[in-house]
Amino acid sequence: MTQLKFVFGDPEICSGCMICANVCSMYYFKVISPTRSRVRVMRIEPALDFPLFCRNCKDAPCIDACPERALSRTSKGIVIVNNSKCNGTGMCVKACPYNAIHINPDTGKAIKCIQCGQCVDRCPADALFLTTDEDLANREDEGRMMELYEKHKEELYSKEEGF
Amino acid sequence: MFGVGGEVIWVNLTTGSIEKRPIDEDMVRKYLLGAGYLSRVLYDMIPVGTDPLGKDNVLGFATGLLTGSMFPQSSRHVIAALSPLTNIWGESHAAGFWGAELKLAGYDAIMFTGASSVPMYLHIEDAKVELLDASHLWGKDVFETDDMIRKTHGKRCRVLSIGQAGENLVRFAAIMNDRDRASARSGLGAVMGSKKLKAISVKGTGKIEVADPKNYLKRMDEFYERMLSNAFTPGRVKYGTTSLVELMQHIGRLPSYNMRQGVFEGYDKISGDAINEKYLVKARSDWSCLQRCGRYTAVRSGPYSFEGGAPEFETQSAMGSRCGNDNLESVLFGHHLANQYGIDTISLGGTISWAMEAWDEGLITAEDTGGIDLSWGNDDTIIKLTKMIALREGFGDILAEGSERAAQRIGRGTNKFVMTVKKQEIAGQEPRAQKSMGLAAVTAARGADHLYGFPVLDEAGFDEDIKKRFGEEYLPEMADRLNPKYKGIMVKECEDFMVMVESVGLCKYGTQIPPEFYYDDVALALKVHNGLDLTGADLQEIGERIVNLNRLFNARFGVTRKDDCLPDRLTKVKAPLGPSAGEVVELDQMLDEYYSVRGWDQVTGLPLKETLERLGLENDN
Repeated sequence: MTQLKFVFGDPEICSGCMICANVCSMYYFKVISPTRSRVRVMRIEPALDFPLFCRNCKDAPCIDACPERALSRTSKGIVIVNNSKCNGTGMCVKACPYNAIHINPDTGKAIKCIQCGQCVDRCPADALFLTTDEDLANREDEGRMMELYEKHKEELYSKEEGF
Repeated sequence: MFGVGGEVIWVNLTTGSIEKRPIDEDMVRKYLLGAGYLSRVLYDMIPVGTDPLGKDNVLGFATGLLTGSMFPQSSRHVIAALSPLTNIWGESHAAGFWGAELKLAGYDAIMFTGASSVPMYLHIEDAKVELLDASHLWGKDVFETDDMIRKTHGKRCRVLSIGQAGENLVRFAAIMNDRDRASARSGLGAVMGSKKLKAISVKGTGKIEVADPKNYLKRMDEFYERMLSNAFTPGRVKYGTTSLVELMQHIGRLPSYNMRQGVFEGYDKISGDAINEKYLVKARSDWSCLQRCGRYTAVRSGPYSFEGGAPEFETQSAMGSRCGNDNLESVLFGHHLANQYGIDTISLGGTISWAMEAWDEGLITAEDTGGIDLSWGNDDTIIKLTKMIALREGFGDILAEGSERAAQRIGRGTNKFVMTVKKQEIAGQEPRAQKSMGLAAVTAARGADHLYGFPVLDEAGFDEDIKKRFGEEYLPEMADRLNPKYKGIMVKECEDFMVMVESVGLCKYGTQIPPEFYYDDVALALKVHNGLDLTGADLQEIGERIVNLNRLFNARFGVTRKDDCLPDRLTKVKAPLGPSAGEVVELDQMLDEYYSVRGWDQVTGLPLKETLERLGLENDN
């Protein structure tokens, strides 16, 4: 299961332009709206910008949390939301340790990153990359980035309304 | 209409009433939004005799039609009012996220009339708009205010506020947003302070619906590709605007020693490379920005330690070379302090350098300054005065009035060293080394200004763009920065384009320098985003209409050709040193050409009747 893919961003390279968030809401919902995006961008001073994506956890607590069994993992290892089953209980949102699932206020359904790569291709700072745990560990600066996420986890994953 | 919030919030600060009105689509077709919208509304609301710091001044905040879009660099908002620095049209702009957030909350603009007797702030959360008590925020700096408001209303909030300088009615106080973005010029922070309006915080969880969602990303991909492959973009990411120090030194256009000269012997110590070598932490973006000119820097030890968003070329020039100061750490820290207090660094450096020259000439002494040594390059003094101006302490209280009023107060011939147009300090373009900048500084509606026209096409080899925009017959003269010929034509064209750009909410980077996107690109974006069918020619005419309306606004406050002038130093005294030595600004020649191509009277410098008729402004004079 080490090959599970997820999108990750370097908070020291990300410049905070929000293009990933807007690409996402436009690609999936045909609107510009960070609230309707599957990625959230949080600026934390000094000088850090965190793009927050689904980490594709091995144990995926979101799957177990859903009373409607609307979330599942595909054969390619992507955790998806079945819209016909989802009725917006928000249990997956609560269960997610990375603040990476949200309820779209228009549809009332859960939304999360499915590693489509649309934003990765368009990031002007090249701060985003599609990776796996193994790949991330092999990147020489893995410790640096993870340390920053870890250091600011309380703020990053606080699940403030609207973020 | 697509791509807009749809409503304007009207707040009467005297009564506390809040009203929402739909945007007027007929007005959009004539003025767009942003700068054009404010130009129209304020022209109709601010009569002659209005006190800029009184309750009758009207303070407007407006986003552009493309603010919050995915077009490259579409983050900007515009602020306008009668200026307390110039007593004429006051306008200022900034990037950031605040404007896009306002759109996402469902609004395009906010207009304030009246004045509160106690400190207030406006908080917007989607449909909820409320005036709240700001007594706990009054006296706080910009960063503290940002922290406190976001602690109360959530981190997602985008905050715009004044610092102590605005509260203390410093005539060149800025309005800050997103911590380090500045609507710096025209002293609009003092207008906010006079109305006891400390801040406007916004949280918008809505959505922007676009006219052509099917093709939207494809169109934006094309714009992104052009912007990212433009030869200027990598340099912009690497240096922001900071490497302009080197470029300007190279052509003798780096204002030094209060514009005595356009070269500075210590330029390499305050240069873009010097910043990158030791202090740059990160390049930062605003909403949808691909150019990342924002700098985040840190000084790690010593008296000038800080970490934050700084600097920009204008500050390197204003607080550096202009004051004869080659201590880079003090320049970076000075910029940071100005952000914290909410001060325009251009007028700040312009005012301090005026005082330094007057000191150098023996006209200001320690008796005036309370013992502060104003010798050229005294970095300790520059930092000390920045605080004293923001808090109006001691000699800082006089300087807080700006250089022109300070010179009037002190007298003794110190007015000879005032480098202003219409009471606003000239920005970092020594015009004897680039004639178009001299003309643009006098024709700009908000007093001395490089951005209203931003005529940079003669700056760095844009011959091809000149050919495209004007025609080959204007070469080589128009591209020659020292030749006054055709500069009237160029500045007129640039002004029309730039006010249009400020009315759609785009940045001057990407439209004017580098000149990647032009009228037809903006027209296409307005079609895809807003569903507007306007041609490039329509947009040009709208730009021209706005410039003429700004001129009529200023005419109401007494401006005529007599006010379109530069300090004698720049028109009569030859540049003493450097690559542009021997040059003066041939202002009258350029002005004649400018008025002629504008359709303005040569004697009064005001729009002719037929010009106003052509632009549909005949009832406005």
